[in-house]
Amino acid sequence: MSKAHDMGGRLDSQRIDIKSSKEKFKADWEKEVFAITLALGFSSLWNLDRSRYARESLEPKDYLQFGYYEKWLGGLINLMGENGIIKDGQENGGNFKKSSFRVLKAKNVKKLLNMGGPTKRESTTEKKFNLGETVSVRANNSNTKVEKGHTRLPDYVKGRTGKVIAYHGSHVFPDTNAHFLGENPEALYSVEFKSQDLWDKCEYFQDTVVVDLWESYLEKFK
Amino acid sequence: MKKDNFKQFYKEFPSNPDARVKALKSILEKEGLIDQKALDEILDTYQNKVGPLNGAKIVAKAWTNKKFKEDLINNTDKVLKDMDLNGRQGEHVVVVENTKTVHNLIVCTLCSCYPWPLLGLPPSWYKSDAYRSRAVREPRAVLSDFDVKLPISKKVKVWDSTAEIRYLVLPQQPPGSKGLCENELVSWVTRDSMIGTGFPKPPTGE
Repeated sequence: MSKAHDMGGRLDSQRIDIKSSKEKFKADWEKEVFAITLALGFSSLWNLDRSRYARESLEPKDYLQFGYYEKWLGGLINLMGENGIIKDGQENGGNFKKSSFRVLKAKNVKKLLNMGGPTKRESTTEKKFNLGETVSVRANNSNTKVEKGHTRLPDYVKGRTGKVIAYHGSHVFPDTNAHFLGENPEALYSVEFKSQDLWDKCEYFQDTVVVDLWESYLEKFK
Repeated sequence: MKKDNFKQFYKEFPSNPDARVKALKSILEKEGLIDQKALDEILDTYQNKVGPLNGAKIVAKAWTNKKFKEDLINNTDKVLKDMDLNGRQGEHVVVVENTKTVHNLIVCTLCSCYPWPLLGLPPSWYKSDAYRSRAVREPRAVLSDFDVKLPISKKVKVWDSTAEIRYLVLPQQPPGSKGLCENELVSWVTRDSMIGTGFPKPPTGE
């Protein structure tokens, strides 16, 4: 089932508003949300996949109505809630273990931002697909381990057929990492789809869409 | 099957976002979980230090230095690391080159993934529902919103950043800029030309 955040190909007739494209933040509160979200991202209590899942899990009507940083803010509050830092809008020491929370200090900001969070891992298994190979995407794009769980398999390519054009090594698997079920690195590929294989009315038959997909999203083409 | 749902704590907070973040921040401050100086440093980084100029420098260098261009495309992460242009949201980068026959366009349909160390934070339109939904289905109509018209001799290749690979478009060098040196070329490279929603153009002297 497609979720609110999974927008690729959704029928939308709105013009892209390219004005005001230089402004980074529309208001001071957006700056606060941005900085606090990044700072708490280093707390070690959750990972990037978890924070994406938190944003996607906002009530669908809120996800669609909220501005970009409102989504971040909603997601962040929910992450803090599940860690016991807050409870029902009130402070509550609760089950929060402060000792496991790493507070980001100014002197570490540059170093940590430069390090980032690489997701590439040593490959421990042989990859299944070769460059140039035609592959099919799984027909069902639900998370296979967690009910309505996180996935990075967009709805618009499920069940479609494309060609492997790049292999990126093994990368942390978001479908488990977002739920603290382990990194379970998997081979990651770029798969190129013809637009005409994705859409009823494609603009031009030669155009293509490339999507980065983990190995377990893919099947041998039969 | 496991269940792992979030409780919607945010609903208990003030609905106005300004008041909401203030309420959140006061809790964090009281608990000693944030350091204001660190927040200031983060904002300074993304407001003043990191931006599309980083990407523009790479593009200009690639236009004028064939060996660098090959390295940039084939050993991207190493090249960027050596230039201190890797880091958060640019840990794994792929550079896609526009040619006579291919025009590349970058989007993230699931959120708004963007190569921060090279382009800074994404513009509002990149994060909009309209761009995220339309770019993969009707890229040419999207491009016309940006006044970009492509001949049908060019294939449009849309890259949906669904994983942790971040994409940078290497635009074609405009004929009118041939012969200029690397430093002069930097100001021709627009942010949009590195996303695929625009072309490089002569500096306007703004």
